[in-house]
Amino acid sequence: MRYRLNVIEKSLRDQKWQIVGFGIALMVMAALIVYIWPSYRTTVASIQLPEAVQALLGSDLAYSTAPGFVSAEYFSWMPILLIVYTVIQGTGAIAGEEGSGTIDLLMSQPLTRWEMVVQKTVSVCIGSALIAGFAFLGFLLSVPFVDIEITLKGTALACANMLPIALLYYALSLWFGSILPNRAYAAGGAIALATAGYFFSTIATAVDSLSWLKYASPFYYYGAGLPLVKGIDWAHVSLLLGVAALFVALTVRSFARRDITIGGASNLRLRDMLGRVLG
Amino acid sequence: MAPAIELRSVVKDYGSVRALRGIDLTVGAGQVFGFLGPNGAGKTTTIRILLDLIRPTSGTASVLGLDSQRDSVEVRRRCGYLPGDLRMYEGLRGNAFLDLIDSFRPQKRDPQYRRSLLERLDLDPSMPIRALSKGNKQKLGLAQALMHRPELLILDEPTSGLDPLVQQEVAKLLEEAVVEGRTVFFSSHVLPEVERLSHAVAIIREGTIAAVEDITRLKSRAVHVLEITFAEPPPLDLFALPGIRELHRDGDVVHIQALDGIDAAIKAMAAYRVVDLRTEQPSLEDFFLAHYSAPAEERTRDALPAERD
Repeated sequence: MRYRLNVIEKSLRDQKWQIVGFGIALMVMAALIVYIWPSYRTTVASIQLPEAVQALLGSDLAYSTAPGFVSAEYFSWMPILLIVYTVIQGTGAIAGEEGSGTIDLLMSQPLTRWEMVVQKTVSVCIGSALIAGFAFLGFLLSVPFVDIEITLKGTALACANMLPIALLYYALSLWFGSILPNRAYAAGGAIALATAGYFFSTIATAVDSLSWLKYASPFYYYGAGLPLVKGIDWAHVSLLLGVAALFVALTVRSFARRDITIGGASNLRLRDMLGRVLG
Repeated sequence: MAPAIELRSVVKDYGSVRALRGIDLTVGAGQVFGFLGPNGAGKTTTIRILLDLIRPTSGTASVLGLDSQRDSVEVRRRCGYLPGDLRMYEGLRGNAFLDLIDSFRPQKRDPQYRRSLLERLDLDPSMPIRALSKGNKQKLGLAQALMHRPELLILDEPTSGLDPLVQQEVAKLLEEAVVEGRTVFFSSHVLPEVERLSHAVAIIREGTIAAVEDITRLKSRAVHVLEITFAEPPPLDLFALPGIRELHRDGDVVHIQALDGIDAAIKAMAAYRVVDLRTEQPSLEDFFLAHYSAPAEERTRDALPAERD
């Protein structure tokens, strides 16, 4: 029986403590933010933030409202934790296994390269969904017991809405891992893009002349806590997932055509990397 | 029956470095075939091409009659592989690791054979891999390659890090595989090991096949270095014989190198009183220097089958 899902199973087992760790962090933060809302409500009610400061909080929702508060304090930056998890997985999937040398035995099994990439990707989808599930659990354990004007449905949607952007950065780091010399380069590239994306989106909202920049940032399409009040923006979700799928496909293409290295390819030259990109 | 392995003009470049310069090699099925060469000669590169872990720059490789690239999944299904640079998932226990490898294999599981392998290799599979010594990791690597009784075993330096007793057991396991009609292709840089284990051998040097020999012929070509202590200094021309080279003389102690067996040397020294006789194990490099350092054209002639026996 060839089409076993053993790589998914193995990957999830490897990630289990990371999933629990990141999950608990997101869960505790969610509950904390909700529980402190009543004591902040009166303080922030009178606050009218300047537009620029409001923009830096990462969402258009007014900070003095419950959705705005939860959006700014939680959903505008919590995806970064989730992105840390997906980038760890994305750089580990190919570059990490090459670095540790375990890839030789793995790929000497009757398994195609695309199957390996797809199974690992599925495991990260499951892992991210579990972490988002933990986040929702945090709201489930707090929202019903606190006087706060957000709905459980809204928080569920906003938690699920963190997945596309996290998977986009997973796909980017996976692709970097398939074309760059080793895991450190891949992680560096993905972290640089995530940081740039975050600041593009906030600065573009704050500075009018740079507002066009926001369209280049995945965080703009993510939309922080907007799903709390407006539901999911399916166009934006499709765009993020589409780009993610594109980079997974590019990874399959470059990984399937190249040599498998052991211990990384630290002597890889720019020309070789271009070769990996173009196949 | 298709040859177990067939390589045709296989060239492999790493950037500007040419690792393989046109490998031609046929390994018939049903034998233990040694792949002998010094470190860096291209053994691992050749082996990794067979399993489609890396791709040749030019040339073709077929394994069990299948194209190594187009049919790579089927090739890997029917082969057992031990990497030369063996790295396993350190966090797993031996048993869990073997289960994982098992889960990729469509072959029917044979827990009894797996158990007997581990017993014969004297390995406790309940230990976490990270706690295993180098030798024990090697045993686990061998077990995962052997446990499905694959048609072709491709083993990169299989006895590396093993003590002599276990090496003997490995030799038996490989011989048993051949008795069952399977094929073993293994690499080594240790001449006596190849002599002990294999039926035939290909010698690789600087990315080309220097010779393919059957093992009796190889043994007859072993280089012997003898240190002979005579009761009194022997005549200066005592070892002026074909195939023997006097390396060094210090009064009554003489060092000689015998290229084509030691018989002539023994007979020559028998006429004098010998106090002591020691033999030294020549290194692989000595062996190469003696036999394969001739100019290319001579080397080719040497490798021709017509030249054998």
